[in-house]
Amino acid sequence: MTNAAVPRAGYSDLPRGSEAVHVLIVLVEDRPGAVDRIVGVLRRKRANTQSLSMGRGDAPDVVRITALVKDSDVSVDNLAEQVRKIVDVRQVTNLTTQQAVIRELVLVKVATTTDNVHEAIAAADQFGGVAVAITPDTVTFEVSGSEEKISKCIDVLQAYGIREIARSGHIAIAR
Amino acid sequence: MAIAANVVQLPDTTYQANRNNDEIRELTGSQILCEALVHEGVELLYGYPGGAIMPFYDALTSYPSLHHVLVRHEQAAAHAADGYARATGKVGVCVATSGPGATNLVTGLATAFMDSTPLVAITGQVARSAIGRDAFQETDVIGMTQPVTKHNFLVRNTEELAAVVHEAFCIARSGRPGPVLIDVPKDVQMVKAQYRPSDYTTSEEFLQASQANAPRPADHLLSQATELIAQSQRPLIMAGHGVILSNAYSELRALAEKASIPVITTLLGLSAFPASHPLFIGMPGMHGPVHTNHAIDAADLIIGVGLRFDDRVTGDVSGFAPNARIIHIDIDPSEMHKVKVATVPIVSDAKVALAALTDAVAPAGKRAWLEEIRSWEAAANERNQSLQHDEALPDPVGILNAIYKATNGEAIIVSDVGQHQMWTARFYRWERLNSHITSGGLGTMGFSLPAAMGVKMGVPDAPVWAVAGDGGVQMNLQELATLQQEGVAVKVAIMNNGYLGMVRQWQQFFHSHNYSETPITSPDYTKLAPAYGLTGIRVTSCDEVEAAVKRAMETEGTVIIDFAIESEANVFPMIPSGKTVKQMIEK
Repeated sequence: MTNAAVPRAGYSDLPRGSEAVHVLIVLVEDRPGAVDRIVGVLRRKRANTQSLSMGRGDAPDVVRITALVKDSDVSVDNLAEQVRKIVDVRQVTNLTTQQAVIRELVLVKVATTTDNVHEAIAAADQFGGVAVAITPDTVTFEVSGSEEKISKCIDVLQAYGIREIARSGHIAIAR
Repeated sequence: MAIAANVVQLPDTTYQANRNNDEIRELTGSQILCEALVHEGVELLYGYPGGAIMPFYDALTSYPSLHHVLVRHEQAAAHAADGYARATGKVGVCVATSGPGATNLVTGLATAFMDSTPLVAITGQVARSAIGRDAFQETDVIGMTQPVTKHNFLVRNTEELAAVVHEAFCIARSGRPGPVLIDVPKDVQMVKAQYRPSDYTTSEEFLQASQANAPRPADHLLSQATELIAQSQRPLIMAGHGVILSNAYSELRALAEKASIPVITTLLGLSAFPASHPLFIGMPGMHGPVHTNHAIDAADLIIGVGLRFDDRVTGDVSGFAPNARIIHIDIDPSEMHKVKVATVPIVSDAKVALAALTDAVAPAGKRAWLEEIRSWEAAANERNQSLQHDEALPDPVGILNAIYKATNGEAIIVSDVGQHQMWTARFYRWERLNSHITSGGLGTMGFSLPAAMGVKMGVPDAPVWAVAGDGGVQMNLQELATLQQEGVAVKVAIMNNGYLGMVRQWQQFFHSHNYSETPITSPDYTKLAPAYGLTGIRVTSCDEVEAAVKRAMETEGTVIIDFAIESEANVFPMIPSGKTVKQMIEK
């Protein structure tokens, strides 16, 4: 997302060719600059970040950040240690996609006419998409779930003409 | 209210710090800042006043135990604090105002961060109500210094100020040390709050209490490491800065001697192990000697202690120590597998891990392996004799030997960055422990003069020599005034070749002798030094070297010796950047 995958040839003997998406869940104290520090480390260490989201954690003074990064196991382990070094960080959990339940929330605004609005609503419904706003010429659907489900829903809605898509970024929890 | 009844009102400017005075007092933020520094045991600060830090400077005059050194540029404040910290093992403290004062510190913070030096930097900030309004001398110091500090704090109110100071010292000193910045808005310095020293834990108390929780080597990793050492025919110890930072000199020596393992020290590990020790085989990497790099190439086991496999050490990592398994000991878990995947990663303080490993290994006799390395060394020495073509000129090795001789090996050497730095690393005899101080990771030109001032003030009994190039010394030359004002005696040896020598050397090899912007002139130091009230000597012949060094030692105060060395002498051997020992250029 923020960085393309970068080669490290010459500067490290970390294994290549075994990249996979990992989920880093970071709990960080809600202090000035704390979130900056985490994003800064992901940038400086050239993490191949696929998705980044943040929200409140379990406690009121804690922010929960979920980052999906794609790299080899040993590189992501090292990245987790780099993040763990940040003084404000309380906990870092490093999960494989199999170990985590991963979800994303998407809002899709679709162009509709009076003729096809019901058809569009029915199409979205197959994937759990719910109409949350309707205007004379658009319908906005809320879809949440796995990557696969969301992309299928978007594919189906393409037929009506997509005006805008807003994605929340992934959140995750250990199974 | 019971607490309010205990409050002692004190006049703002006449208060004297008293650690035994444990009543709750109402003090200004500036006074609390000074109190907390005194409570931490701080004696020396390097800094420069300005608008947003003026309340602190106002309070400072009431705390005579805090000796403030007025530098001539904030960068020098950070380097001086850095030198002080490296030489003493204490936390160096520097102070600057907001905006340009703080931005001038950044290079010094980055230098300390790369080399893991414990610093606390205190910066003034515009008043809280002005933050974010592009106020006069406002910069986002927190944002700017985040990548070059271990942590930084924007102090939100006077009540949290003392706690922040102690936490900053804890963070700077604990684990892998590093710089911490405290940004204090001007109004936070002026507002009063209640303060009682015993409400706070000092970093010393915290570290002693937390020693039990310090990372220690896991038993299974220790036995794996012991097993690898037992199997190895060609083991090497590579010791880095971590050995010095954790004061693990005797533990390093004990392991090397018991298991009979040759010792390499990295640039920042130099002086962690006596150079005359029969097991010492030098410095690795780009400008390490031939036999040291060949030893790494041939080794079947490398025990890396407190080092991070920097690219100036490894060159192309795939070709670095291709036959070796790696035992990596470091207190920072994020160093494991960062560059070189370790066979046995041991996250631990170097002192603890080395002691545990020494207990666990079987004693070994002298290895044929050491003889083999020594034979490579002898052969290379025969091939590569002198650095210079013109033997009448002062030569770098002769200068270094003269310093060693005139100081009986007791000197602490602070080098700058460039050719002279590599010559110093290679050819000075590092007998005194922790006697080599240089900017290794960041390679900051201009480091040596202010850092040497910090070293000398931290270890006043030791002779302190700054060894610099004619380029680097001019980067912080203004500090001659500070040295004079403070009466600090640093002896400065300039290896003056009229070039930015290391860049010129690269231009010679990799840019077809295109000496683009590397020729550089210097002032006449025999006139400049007296202008500062100091002594300047110029040496143009190798016959004068020893006498000049001796005279510098006998002369009071700071002395600058400007040695006219050969203009195009090179640092050999040299492994070009990103290459391996196979591409080494010997001469």
